[in-house]
Amino acid sequence: MSALLSGTGLVRNYGATPALRGIDLEVAAGEIVAVTGPSGCGKSTLLHCLAGILRVDGGTVTYRDQDIGLWSEAARSRLRRTEFGVLFQFGQLVPELTAVENVALPLLLAGTGRREARQTALDWLGRLGVAESAEQRPGTMSGGQQQRCATARALVTEPRVLFADEPTGALDVLTGEQVLGQIVRVAREQGTAVVLVTHESSVAAYADREVALRDGVVDPTGLGLAR
Amino acid sequence: MSTAHVLLGLLAAGPRHGYDLKRAHDDRLPRAKPLAYGQVYATLGRLERDGLVTEAGQDREGGPDRTSYEITEEGRRHLDAWLSAVDPPAPYVTSELFSKVVVALLAADAGRARDYLVAQRAAHMSRMRELTTAKTEPGAGVGDVVAADYAIGHLEADLRWLQTTLARVADLQKEVTS
Amino acid sequence: MTASTLARLAVAGNRTDMLRTVLTAVSALLATIAMLCAATVLSITGWAGRYAAALLVEPGLRPGVAATLVLVSLPVLALAGQCIRLGAPARDRRLAAIRLAGATPGEAVLIATAETAVASLLGSVAGLVAYLVARAAIGDQRTLPTDVLPPAPVIVLLVVLVPVLAAAVGALLMRRVIVTPLGVVRRVRKRGPRPWPGLLIAAGLALFALPFQEHLKIHIPAPRNAALAVLGGGVLLTMAGVVLGVGWISHTAGRLLRRYGRGPATLLAGQRLITDPWNGSRTMAALLAAVTAGSVALAYRALLATNFRYYDLDNQVMGYSNGEGTGPAADPSFYFNAIRLVMVAVGLSAAVAAAGLLIALVESVVARRRAYASLTAAGVPRRTLSAAILWQTLTPLVPALVLALAAGDALVRLTQTDFDLGHSYRECVSENDPEAHCRTLAELHLPSVLHVPVPWGDLGLLGAGALLAALVAVGAGVLVLRSSTDLEELRVG
Repeated sequence: MSALLSGTGLVRNYGATPALRGIDLEVAAGEIVAVTGPSGCGKSTLLHCLAGILRVDGGTVTYRDQDIGLWSEAARSRLRRTEFGVLFQFGQLVPELTAVENVALPLLLAGTGRREARQTALDWLGRLGVAESAEQRPGTMSGGQQQRCATARALVTEPRVLFADEPTGALDVLTGEQVLGQIVRVAREQGTAVVLVTHESSVAAYADREVALRDGVVDPTGLGLAR
Repeated sequence: MSTAHVLLGLLAAGPRHGYDLKRAHDDRLPRAKPLAYGQVYATLGRLERDGLVTEAGQDREGGPDRTSYEITEEGRRHLDAWLSAVDPPAPYVTSELFSKVVVALLAADAGRARDYLVAQRAAHMSRMRELTTAKTEPGAGVGDVVAADYAIGHLEADLRWLQTTLARVADLQKEVTS
Repeated sequence: MTASTLARLAVAGNRTDMLRTVLTAVSALLATIAMLCAATVLSITGWAGRYAAALLVEPGLRPGVAATLVLVSLPVLALAGQCIRLGAPARDRRLAAIRLAGATPGEAVLIATAETAVASLLGSVAGLVAYLVARAAIGDQRTLPTDVLPPAPVIVLLVVLVPVLAAAVGALLMRRVIVTPLGVVRRVRKRGPRPWPGLLIAAGLALFALPFQEHLKIHIPAPRNAALAVLGGGVLLTMAGVVLGVGWISHTAGRLLRRYGRGPATLLAGQRLITDPWNGSRTMAALLAAVTAGSVALAYRALLATNFRYYDLDNQVMGYSNGEGTGPAADPSFYFNAIRLVMVAVGLSAAVAAAGLLIALVESVVARRRAYASLTAAGVPRRTLSAAILWQTLTPLVPALVLALAAGDALVRLTQTDFDLGHSYRECVSENDPEAHCRTLAELHLPSVLHVPVPWGDLGLLGAGALLAALVAVGAGVLVLRSSTDLEELRVG
């Protein structure tokens, strides 16, 4: 089976500092891949590059046999609101909008009608067990509710790939576990591939396999079973 | 952990016979090593000798004779003392993992120690993935989750140790072989 | 993205966004009223003897009045543009979050611009209402032209023009801002600014002096309008040069502060000036433009005053009295009144510009509130931070004000610096030997040349006024600093 999303020889620098120094990675459809490694190893940068948020300085990011590095910023934005979902540690919700508006946002941006977008958003909030917070703003919700709402937003467009960067990093262990369990459950139900960036082994254990990074390259000693 | 105390705990609710005790033990501690019958009876024998349990009666419902046991007053006091006692936290640092790394350095070199750590890490990760899958499965009960969490927590601690030790192998070798 | 989605996202905001919307709307309101007044003045036709004010009566003077009103509306519009940056951190976060949800960069800028356009439209419509209500309330009298109304298409155009202009200014300010899904990045130029804007000032001065070169006039008989255009262009170039020159002044001042300054306040201020030297250009532009215009007006008044004195002396020498002889077309007080009007406009503009400076200061303090709060937490006294803000505003402002005053005065001085009085008012009594019997009249107690004085006092007052306005703005900004350095700020967002 050919990969849904792949990065080949990915290089990315911040000024003179290299963050990625030639990384190869493949993600198959419906697969959950954990990207692990110590702080500063480049795992978040890798996620940003794969999701088309950052441009790579070298190498290619291929999604469904298309080199998305050649696409315009606007085209990659549209990709993010249709085929990709993005979930960060915090801060991805628009603080001025209510939960249901936040979840409906990608649909609204894509031109879905207001009523339909709202209904779909409500359904998703229900699936993640936060329907009761629909009219709340993120500031008045607990961390766990916010991340559930953010998960709903990331999945509302039924993306093929979900990019999650330390999605439970700001939550306590129990809440984090619940949120993570829901992300994985819904992703599996939906057949969504997940790129899960984390520095915690217990979080990485939710994935089908693990890719460990060290200093901007894949660390073969941390590959675990994937070898 | 002592099987005797678990059996005493199970008997605290009321008299039970040996087969029943084994089933209850395996149910309540789902991911522990299952008890062998011989072990149940040997333990009960020791408890009876020490006066912590007594025979409560015989029944023979469609099978062989089965003796049921009940906890004594002495047994309850013993159980209570055990529950109140705080375990000394890690009085000695002994671990197969740790010993193996040191011996690998003594008997071979840093490369050998590293290979072991990498392989052990992979095995730990794989076990952790299994446990995580088990506890997130739709039918998993709370007991399964709590048991898996206990093991995952310990594996996680081991993994953290494996990872940091991997980074310190070279320094450790200098110290061990100096 | 549908229009309703755009509208929903454009009006999403917190309290600071509310403040920005209100300020933008108020600026749009003021600008619309000023422009409507200008249009009203232009709508008067022919010789309008029914008005008390001479400036409204004469058709030749009304464009000047209208131009002055438009001049007032410009800094107000600049204020509306400046408001866009108010509450920037929260808005940046919001835009980044919207981008992360899949909005394209164009849509993010559209949302930000729509915010301004919506607020300005509210303001300009309110301005129209206020204008119509005031017009009806004042009723029929002879001081203000309440009896004429600009044609309806013009009114509609003006009401729409203000939001369009404000949105354009906003989009221009957003041009240097890249909204990425990970946050907002402001493009920063690597190299420090150079003193090239000095060339702009020189070019402006040269352009202004051009129509007054006698030998050029002979060769190129230029029409009057061309001369006016060249003069206007010269003033604009000079203003632009002064405003852009602040970049270099800030950078240099920052370097000097860092090298020679003692204590943490000058160090902090110097570093800020070096890091963002164009901040001064952005925030002080309107103030400096107003001061340059004021300086031109004051210098022109000095020129006029000298001119009138020249006429008086000339007439006195020639023996004319009672208004005979040479002289200005109208009563001198008329000209001085016109200049006073311009100075009122300059004063208003300066006040509005100071408000803009305050908004910019508040914005910069709020944008860096975490840094300020952590400095406070680390034990830097608030006094030091306040002093740093004062240094960082005044160090470039003082030289820039001097430059603006000098450039404005120089513009006028290039046209004429002195008036030659006749040298030889001599009466010759003997027809045979003219040389021997000629005697000099009146020359003894008169200078042969009247120099146009540099209006030091007036220029000083203008500069001091501008400086005072800036100081008031800094004072108010420091009050915001006080609340922004609450250690609570370390915990939020």
